[in-house]
Amino acid sequence: MTSKKVTVTNPEGLHMRPAGVFTKAMSAFESSVNIKFNGQNYNGKSIMNVLAAGIKCGSDIEIECDGADEQAALDKAVEIVQTAE
Amino acid sequence: MYKGIAGSDGIGIGNAALIKEQEIKYEQNSALSAEEETARFDAAVDELIKKTDAMAEEMRANVGEKEAEILMGHSLMLSDPAMTDEVRGIIAGGLTSEAAAEQVFETFAAMFEATGDELTMQRAADLRDVKSGIIKTLQGVRDVDIKSLPKGSVIVVNDLTPSMTAGINKDNIAGIVTETGGRTSHSAILARALEIPAVLSVEGVTGMIADGSRIIVDGTRGEVITGPDEKTEAEYAEKKAEFDKCRKELEKLIGKPTVTADGTKVELVCNIGKPDDCAAVLEKDGEGVGLFRTEFLYMDTDEKPGEEQQFEAYRKAAMTLKGKPVIIRTLDVGGDKDIPYLGLEKEENPFMGFRAVRYCLENKELYRDQLRALLRASAFGDIKIMVPLVTCVEEVRQAKALIKEIMAELDREGVEYNKDIKIGIMAETPAAAAIADLLAEEADFFSIGTNDLTGYTMAVDRGNAKVAYLYSAYQPAVLRNIKRIIECGKQKGIMVGMCGEAAADPLLIPLLISFGLDEFSVSPTSVLATRDIIGKWSKAEADKVAEEAMNCATESEVKALLEARRK
Repeated sequence: MTSKKVTVTNPEGLHMRPAGVFTKAMSAFESSVNIKFNGQNYNGKSIMNVLAAGIKCGSDIEIECDGADEQAALDKAVEIVQTAE
Repeated sequence: MYKGIAGSDGIGIGNAALIKEQEIKYEQNSALSAEEETARFDAAVDELIKKTDAMAEEMRANVGEKEAEILMGHSLMLSDPAMTDEVRGIIAGGLTSEAAAEQVFETFAAMFEATGDELTMQRAADLRDVKSGIIKTLQGVRDVDIKSLPKGSVIVVNDLTPSMTAGINKDNIAGIVTETGGRTSHSAILARALEIPAVLSVEGVTGMIADGSRIIVDGTRGEVITGPDEKTEAEYAEKKAEFDKCRKELEKLIGKPTVTADGTKVELVCNIGKPDDCAAVLEKDGEGVGLFRTEFLYMDTDEKPGEEQQFEAYRKAAMTLKGKPVIIRTLDVGGDKDIPYLGLEKEENPFMGFRAVRYCLENKELYRDQLRALLRASAFGDIKIMVPLVTCVEEVRQAKALIKEIMAELDREGVEYNKDIKIGIMAETPAAAAIADLLAEEADFFSIGTNDLTGYTMAVDRGNAKVAYLYSAYQPAVLRNIKRIIECGKQKGIMVGMCGEAAADPLLIPLLISFGLDEFSVSPTSVLATRDIIGKWSKAEADKVAEEAMNCATESEVKALLEARRK
């Protein structure tokens, strides 16, 4: 398993549009994707999980990927939360 | 007449098309095997995804990318693996697909609503829209077809769901009236994108309006008129024609700079009350925010907002505006507002009492939280701090000293902030006008609050009907104070803005141009109209009118003159 702590810099946070971009991209990977936020775990491939987390701009989250393509999945996940418009 | 929320500007006249959702009944326990029931669920979801994707395409082609994304989101919810897993688990326990979808979607909706985050809470409506889509598909119930409504229809509905609006034909829909939803709901966003007048949150309206009856929607004022007589309808038809013509003209000004007729650039910014209002600022082409009232953070809550909560709000505003200036006014409270946890005492004369900066400087812990949040947020955009109700130089010095203290604290903690942050004052008292020359030495900018300046200058409570006639910004006393504040600011080379209603008053704009006002702060809906008026006046023409106006002896003379010179 590999993981990274990041600060969400998208001004919209992980609301509808960026959450859609995120989960869609994550679904392409075989690895599981878990978001740790405020002590809770959210499935990074589930848009409903990600939305329910209510992650705002500036929130600190930890992304954990586990599986054959975990590094690629993690890199992509970090890229999205830090650059998604 | 019914009152509601003004959701989308304009006037619509037509016949009510009452849309009632039929209630769907279904069994809780499945008569099928778990495999059969799962297959039934999967088939319904597949069908709905195809339909939703097609609607999204249609929306993209007919309305826009942003609106289509709502439906793309629905499609993603339908293919959400976590949702599907949970539904399958419940089906395995012997329930029908309908009952399983109900349970799972309602659980998520409750989670969304528990976040306390406005945007996330609104998404609960999407979940319920998707849920009812699944149940309808399972039951073979067709959606109400808005597409086939005849020309001149006014939709009257409990809630306009995104799936309902996908096929909306702008040419046939004259207006929208709903029972639920606010200005940021999908219904409102979509109505504005399509430029269909809309009034939202009209309680019980679907039970009060008969299908096919004549109806007028005033989306600018948030009013719905049913069964109008001929005269009323003719009046509104005229208003509508005028509005439509104005809108066309004003839209040409989107993206254009705000300049006077002889090419002097001025700033045209907005007054807002919540970070979410920033979206309206951008939508209406405001060039920033000239007054962000922070009272919302303190009202409607049971305890004082902490530094973090305030920081979030200020940062959000700064980031949404992407580097455009945001002037944030520090807490403006007093004995006339009921905020129980602040323990404000009822006063004999609250408007002249313990309020605004006077209260904040005595309650330093409370003020400190706000100033720290503002300074921290200043690292994320062009935030400026504005101190309200200043009447003497000491108040500015004390506020600045406190800010300096906090800056030193942040330096020690290694927290980033804008070291050159501008600290200005709201010029809204006759005292501030009288010592504007002295205040200009201390403050980085002035923003004239004409509403309070008028009340304090005329010593009049505008709520008192007996004396309200004195409350007018055209009073020579008020105009002299405004002129003095602007001139003193200009002499010291600081920016002078105006954030009261007068800044958007077409009659006063030539005077403000002549006096040399740098920044006009108006409500988002007034941006384009104000830009239009500013563009009609050259400095020389404005100077001429100002000279005439300043020579008038009475309010009615001033008003008559400005009306006569109006462009």
